[in-house]
Amino acid sequence: MRLNLKIWRQAGPTAPGRLEDYTADSVSPDMSFLEMLDVVNEGLIVKGKDAIAFDSDCREGICGTCSLVIDGVAHGPDRGTTVCQLHMRRFKDGETVTIEPWRAKAFPVVKDLVVDRSAFDRIIAAGGFVSINAGGAQDANNILIPKDVCDAAMDSAACIGCGACVAACKNASAHLFMSAKISHLSLLPQGQQERYTRVTAMIDQADSEGFGSCSNEGECEAVCPKEIPISNIARMTREYVMARLSK
Amino acid sequence: MAPRTGIFSSSVGTKILIGLTGVLLVVYLLIHIAGNMVVFLGPAAFNTYAFTLESNPLLPLVELVLLSWFVIHIYKTVRNFLSNQTARPVAYQKKKSAGHTTRKTFASSTMIFSGLWLFAFLLVHVKAFHDGWGTQYEWPAGGRDLYRQEMETFANPVMVGFYIISMLVVGSHLWHGASSAFQSLGADKPAWTRVILPAGKAIAVLVAGGFIVIALFAHFYGVRS
Amino acid sequence: MKLDARVPAGPIAEKWDRHKFDMKLVNPANKRKYTVIVVGTGLAGASAAASLGELGYNVLNFCIQDSPRRAHSIAAQGGINAAKNYQNDGDSVYRLFYDTVKGGDYRSREANVYRLAQLSVNIIDQCVAQGVPFAREYGGLLDNRSFGGAQVSRTFYARGQTGQQLLIGAYQSLMRQAHAKAVKLFARREMLDLVVVDGKARGIIVRNLVTGELERYVGDAVILATGGYGTVYYLSTNAINSNVTASWRAHKRGAFFANPCFTQIHPTCIPVSGDHQSKLTLMSERLRNDGRVWVPKTKGDKRSPELIPEEERDYYLERKYPSFGNLVPRDVASRNAKQAADEGRGVGESGLAVYLDFKDAITRLGPEVIKEKYGNLFQMYNKITDEDPYKVPMRIYPAIHYTMGGLWVDYNLMSTVPGLHVLGEANFSDHGANRLGASALMQGLADGYFVIPYTIGDYLANNPVPKITTDHDAFKEAAQNAQNQINKLLTVKGNRGIRDIHRELGRIMWDDVGMARTDASLKRALQAIPKLREEFWHNVSVPGSADNLNQSLEYAGRVADYLEFAELLTRDALDRKESAGGHFREESQTPDGEAMRDDDNYSYVAAWEFKGVGATPELHKEPLEFHEVHPSQRSYK
Repeated sequence: MRLNLKIWRQAGPTAPGRLEDYTADSVSPDMSFLEMLDVVNEGLIVKGKDAIAFDSDCREGICGTCSLVIDGVAHGPDRGTTVCQLHMRRFKDGETVTIEPWRAKAFPVVKDLVVDRSAFDRIIAAGGFVSINAGGAQDANNILIPKDVCDAAMDSAACIGCGACVAACKNASAHLFMSAKISHLSLLPQGQQERYTRVTAMIDQADSEGFGSCSNEGECEAVCPKEIPISNIARMTREYVMARLSK
Repeated sequence: MAPRTGIFSSSVGTKILIGLTGVLLVVYLLIHIAGNMVVFLGPAAFNTYAFTLESNPLLPLVELVLLSWFVIHIYKTVRNFLSNQTARPVAYQKKKSAGHTTRKTFASSTMIFSGLWLFAFLLVHVKAFHDGWGTQYEWPAGGRDLYRQEMETFANPVMVGFYIISMLVVGSHLWHGASSAFQSLGADKPAWTRVILPAGKAIAVLVAGGFIVIALFAHFYGVRS
Repeated sequence: MKLDARVPAGPIAEKWDRHKFDMKLVNPANKRKYTVIVVGTGLAGASAAASLGELGYNVLNFCIQDSPRRAHSIAAQGGINAAKNYQNDGDSVYRLFYDTVKGGDYRSREANVYRLAQLSVNIIDQCVAQGVPFAREYGGLLDNRSFGGAQVSRTFYARGQTGQQLLIGAYQSLMRQAHAKAVKLFARREMLDLVVVDGKARGIIVRNLVTGELERYVGDAVILATGGYGTVYYLSTNAINSNVTASWRAHKRGAFFANPCFTQIHPTCIPVSGDHQSKLTLMSERLRNDGRVWVPKTKGDKRSPELIPEEERDYYLERKYPSFGNLVPRDVASRNAKQAADEGRGVGESGLAVYLDFKDAITRLGPEVIKEKYGNLFQMYNKITDEDPYKVPMRIYPAIHYTMGGLWVDYNLMSTVPGLHVLGEANFSDHGANRLGASALMQGLADGYFVIPYTIGDYLANNPVPKITTDHDAFKEAAQNAQNQINKLLTVKGNRGIRDIHRELGRIMWDDVGMARTDASLKRALQAIPKLREEFWHNVSVPGSADNLNQSLEYAGRVADYLEFAELLTRDALDRKESAGGHFREESQTPDGEAMRDDDNYSYVAAWEFKGVGATPELHKEPLEFHEVHPSQRSYK
């Protein structure tokens, strides 16, 4: 299989970028998308040319590192799949594929397809935690949590922080990301003490990072590799209202 | 630490305000269309209905409240749109909808344009309503003969065309907006959403369709009556 | 140099408590005057950095990823063990301790393992308090399952994402400390050298992976929590960026490397599909509860599985191990798969796979039950291979999964370089020759939340160091050292790809230092590795420059270290002429083909001292004594 690739190349954060043409020859349908790029890079490297920079780590869909927009869709065409789990059998011989980085003011490009997502870390730092020091915890079974509540919290906690939601959103909004963490912690009894300070602090942080607002189009949900629904965003709104009314 | 924003200045607060005014405006539109349906009962009923409304001393107050909803809705959406534009300074070379569960539609992608069109329409509409359009007629039982005025206005194919286009734009705006407003207000649970999403679209069709039917009725049958 | 494990005196159950009391404390007001450098943000690193931040130390925390949340602990699926005995099925701290020592094939230090079992209960409390959504029963209590052949249900889990949830818990605590400015975070930094001043670890040299700058950081102690070295095999279940560089460079500065030959192979991975393969994906061992492992009886039988009649199939695990059948331990299952493949009875295009067949289970239980139990795993398999395991048998093959060996540490988790502490998979301490399922997460968190916060205080209080800056000669020398290596890599300008050389190294390691090792194969590898290293330094192509993000340069540096480290691993394997846990020497097996230990000669930790690249390292032995659990031979017949 042979593919024509149009790949975003950008030397650095301030350098201008553009799409450049590459060909991927002898692509096997069993390859993952990133392995296809590995092969392209190997070809560049032996020629002494700068390899295409892209982020990846676990390559099993859980670390949230990989981050490519493929033909205009974050993480590519498969539902509930990160790029590393996308396989080349999804593509046709001779197809032209455009590969771009996540694009958002809050995710500046570092190089080529690599972006800086530290804004997500700062959002979590602003309040996405339970303030508990090591050593002070009571016995785990003293906290009873109904199974359905725990399952719902787990659904939200499944977020891998990849940022596809931001990449897909026309407003580059971080609402799905934030709301997943806010939902996870506000559903559980452990998160109740800081329930309201958390939601306002995280939202304020996200706003100051330059993420946009939410237009309820649900593109975020559609690209989310963990299929986290936008009902989380609605829950975040309710939490926010409660937080602002309670003080 | 990020600065604390006012409740309605944050991205979430903005959404709430837009959603809230949106819901109120939808409710207003539903009342509005119900009222306009009186046109089918003939000139007497319609003009009486209009006169009752116009002679109510609370009308200016109601109009003021209504105006405030519009102003807030428009102001917040425009500002929100502008600030959202800055959230992605470099555009994608290629971008398309992810499909799957997305709620993205042509309607949702053009909210700001449909909204601005409606804003322009509103100015024309309110001016027409308040100051009259073309010739003003007295209605013997009191007030204006708005029925006749409406029929004459819609006799003009250009007016009907503009009106129908505007009502299609209303429909488009509501196609996304009516259900989206509920999401903005935090009303999204799987059980509700199954109802809210189709209901929003139904409202869009009802409102746009209703006004269009009235306009067509006026155009084709109005002159004869 | 004599290795002193500094195991406290007293009965095993009291050692840690006594030691906690005996250790010196740092006055709360003084803690902020101490700077502790933590490298790595996985379970061990993040929990350590967060806990030390909570205590008031000034913490500098580094990771190579773009965010601390991405460390490879996140990929652990199965669960975390704890001796809570919530299921009332006879578990206890002692039993977890016993199982771990036995599972480690009597090559771990009893005192460390006992402490690990003790602390396991605190970990669950801590994680639940953080909001980790462990699975619950309908009554709201925590659910447990039996894992990896354990006789009791002591494994806590959060769907198939336990590692992720535990790491996110630790990460959130870490970010809280970052927000409080107790921890300063440095993402996209790779440690390239350890700075030792007057014999003590005082700092690190890191490369800022974005700007390419070499940065120097000084502290009063250094903690490495940089994970294992599975990617020395090229293909493993480890992440693409997992590497041995930090450990290896610390080793070159005097930290002994212990038991590198103890590597774990996981039997149920998705087989390799071609040369392009960049990593292997593990599927939970749970699959073996209902799947039956088989290969065709005849060599080279390439018929598709449904065409092979029942009587021509060899369910070899059931045949050889009638009582455990398909549930034999990881190493036994793995070796038997390799044996079948070596005999030419492997399946699939490459012949490097065996079948794991669910047909009987589906007939017996119905597809719905199977879907409920394994749905997500079947889906994952389907996504990767494009085959439907409900219809055709899965193909599985073993893969490198975890490395028990690591930098040698004493009871306080301090290496042979004073001040350099090593946590988690990066150290060698608790799993001996083989790690039990669901114990890696436990060890990482025990080290970070509950051991290092005590032992680092003892070290700092006992070892006042003079104030120095990063202008100190030792920093200059280390930075120059790192710079030289970078320059060297960039100037080779050969014509061979880095990945290509890494792949070749992996092939050497897998074939000759893999699941079954012989004197001849190890010696062969010891010939091949230096040659490949030579080839690397003469013919590798590393494009680009050092002054910006250059992933080729990063990768080349890691492969360069692997080319040195691989030799040590092989040498250790050659030196240990016994079979133990994950280390199987064909010369040392029972008549039934079981791994056979040689307790008389090899009941020790092999700690290697670096003597120069290519030079023979010096072996130091820490004898292992078993007062509680008496070594016995495993049998799964």
